[in-house]
Amino acid sequence: MASEDELMMMHDAATDDGESFDDDFYSGGDAHDDDDDSDDDDVMDYDFIDNDSDDSDNLIAHHRSQSNYSILNEADIHKCQEESITKVSTVLSISRVAAGILLRHYNWSVSKVNDEWFADEGKVRRIVGLLENPLPLPDGVELTCGICFDVYPRNEISAAACGHPFCLTCWQGYISTAITDGPGCLMLRCPDPSCSAAIGLDMIKKLANNEDKKKYNRYFIRSFVEDNRKTKWCPAPGCDYAVDYIVGSGSYDVTCGCSYSFCWNCTEETHRPVDCGTVSKWILKNSAESENMNWILANSKPCPKCKRPIEKNQGCMHITCTPPCKFEFCWLCLGPWTDHGERTGGFYACNRYEAAKQEGVFDESEKRREMAKNSLERYTHYYERWATNQSSRQKALSDLQQMQTVNLEKLSDKQCQPESQLKFITEAWLQIVECRRVLKWTYAYGYYLPEHEHAKRQFFEYLQGEAESGLERLHQCAEKELQGYLDAESPSKEFNEFRTKLAGLTSVTRNYFENLVRALENGLSDVDAHGAYSRAASSKSLGGGNIKGKGGRGKGTTSRSSSSRNIDDSGHWSCEYCTYANVRSATVCQMCQQRR
Amino acid sequence: MANSNLPRRIIKETQRLLSEPAPGISASPSEDNMRYFNVMILGPTQSPYEGGVFKLELFLPEEYPMAAPKVRFLTKIYHPNIDKLGRICLDILKDKWSPALQIRTVLLSIQALLSAPNPDDPLSENIAKHWKANEAEAVETAKEWTRLYASGA
Repeated sequence: MASEDELMMMHDAATDDGESFDDDFYSGGDAHDDDDDSDDDDVMDYDFIDNDSDDSDNLIAHHRSQSNYSILNEADIHKCQEESITKVSTVLSISRVAAGILLRHYNWSVSKVNDEWFADEGKVRRIVGLLENPLPLPDGVELTCGICFDVYPRNEISAAACGHPFCLTCWQGYISTAITDGPGCLMLRCPDPSCSAAIGLDMIKKLANNEDKKKYNRYFIRSFVEDNRKTKWCPAPGCDYAVDYIVGSGSYDVTCGCSYSFCWNCTEETHRPVDCGTVSKWILKNSAESENMNWILANSKPCPKCKRPIEKNQGCMHITCTPPCKFEFCWLCLGPWTDHGERTGGFYACNRYEAAKQEGVFDESEKRREMAKNSLERYTHYYERWATNQSSRQKALSDLQQMQTVNLEKLSDKQCQPESQLKFITEAWLQIVECRRVLKWTYAYGYYLPEHEHAKRQFFEYLQGEAESGLERLHQCAEKELQGYLDAESPSKEFNEFRTKLAGLTSVTRNYFENLVRALENGLSDVDAHGAYSRAASSKSLGGGNIKGKGGRGKGTTSRSSSSRNIDDSGHWSCEYCTYANVRSATVCQMCQQRR
Repeated sequence: MANSNLPRRIIKETQRLLSEPAPGISASPSEDNMRYFNVMILGPTQSPYEGGVFKLELFLPEEYPMAAPKVRFLTKIYHPNIDKLGRICLDILKDKWSPALQIRTVLLSIQALLSAPNPDDPLSENIAKHWKANEAEAVETAKEWTRLYASGA
């Protein structure tokens, strides 16, 4: 039995690794495709990717999280764009305008432009509409505009590199129409239907009116962010920053200059430990009309005559539909009330229904209604908790702000502490905010955790419960206990102890949540390993055992079986001050340095 | 009248359409609205529409020539790129419009579309399906419709 489980586990692990390898391999390819950096970097990038795919652990990504993306403001974007244009125009010896057209066409990838150009310059020129030998305007002192057919003196006619003559008014109209139509104006071609000569920035500058020029520039900048596969706008409302991300470099979580944290991959707010697919499913579910439908299905029946859904919230079975329908019917059998009376069971029962039910007539719709009701209740359970943590997080964020703007200064006065010594309070609050976020997403995780995986569900719920209570403890300390010191008349001796406690709780909670996130991201794969054991053992010791398994990597263990403060069954002892689980041999808490 | 400040381009196009009409195509502006044209296209030879006379309406919107003219078949026609309201699926009437195109070029393109139906880019799903499933039969229907609805008069 055990060996079978182990086999299963190995199999699972193999598939997991296979997948992550695929992912990384794929993103590695992307990184290469899009690599605008100098070629020297390529080798290093590949080394890194290889390492990463060998080890499913995210530790490397974690260390790199500071450097795998950068925040760009509009000036930075413009600078990057200009740099790309300079590179291309220098390497290919073409004008900056032509370089801009090329880059725009190849989604701002310098290496792609270089590759394509040197592979087949003629083909690239044809595709993007860059003529090798520009043609002059046709001969003649006066020329006919190809759009309005009027004749103009030569100097009132203009043309792209192809020489097709159009008057200045028509050019302006043509460009303006294209710009009004949207970002497609960046790919504008000569108006002549048989000609594909590109219209670049120089023509726009020369021929468009000022307002259109502004719009065009806006599109030009936007294109650099939106068409570039390495860059995305920060999705926070009103934020103008873009985030440049090194594709294939691990965690997608980024924090914008506006302090909004989001997943660079799916641009939803950061959602570890849940993956992007689950998030989009969950968000769709939350917004979907389908939940309304489910409710209606579960809690109403359609009027048999007009089909409007009716909710029966009280009273007898004799239903009268609202005007203009006014149909009177029996709630149970949905037959007309005229067929009912004393002999069919009176107002509160329906013999016809009982009889029909026994014959199985109502089974299907009843069953559907029942199922809808169950699934709705299940969803509501998870949704409520998801939403509550969301609002708790909002609250914690505003508390944090209050703390930073008002309370820290006050506390510094009251307790005679320099503000620099009060950083631990900000850190605690930041941790609370982060924990609320993680907890919130664990509810989406729980909703999609398959019903039949009992061991996993049990383990998951235990972990989640521990996380809730651990966070509660931290929150309590950071809110209530702190209030005591805020309200104090004079500096209190215990403040240093409070500092130790809160800092300890912060760090312990951080560790616990980091482990939780990692365990959930691994799909709780430990449960497979201990499957047999988990069914026999109580959930509590199971949780302890598994967490320690994780913590064994030296990232700090968190066996906080809250009831026992002493040595637990695996030989660890919990610190009385910060609850950190220390190894038996330690006499001083490794976390808060308090004696045992 | 609205016709008083008609762009020179429209006047020129109209004059040329009347003085040197394209083969198989006639287009004449309505008397009370110079932007509205009554169009007739003869079914091209060796197409299922041969022998038919198809009436269309063509309207030049205010933005013309920056925006494409609006064209619609008035005669019923069995064609995968034309729906039962007479609307036409043709790229130059949509995103491929260029102000350097003209009424003449548009009508020539429509005439060409009659010679070469494109069931892969259909406007009328049913007809396109018919066309792809059994082209011979679809062509017969098109001929039948031409006889029924487009035989002059």
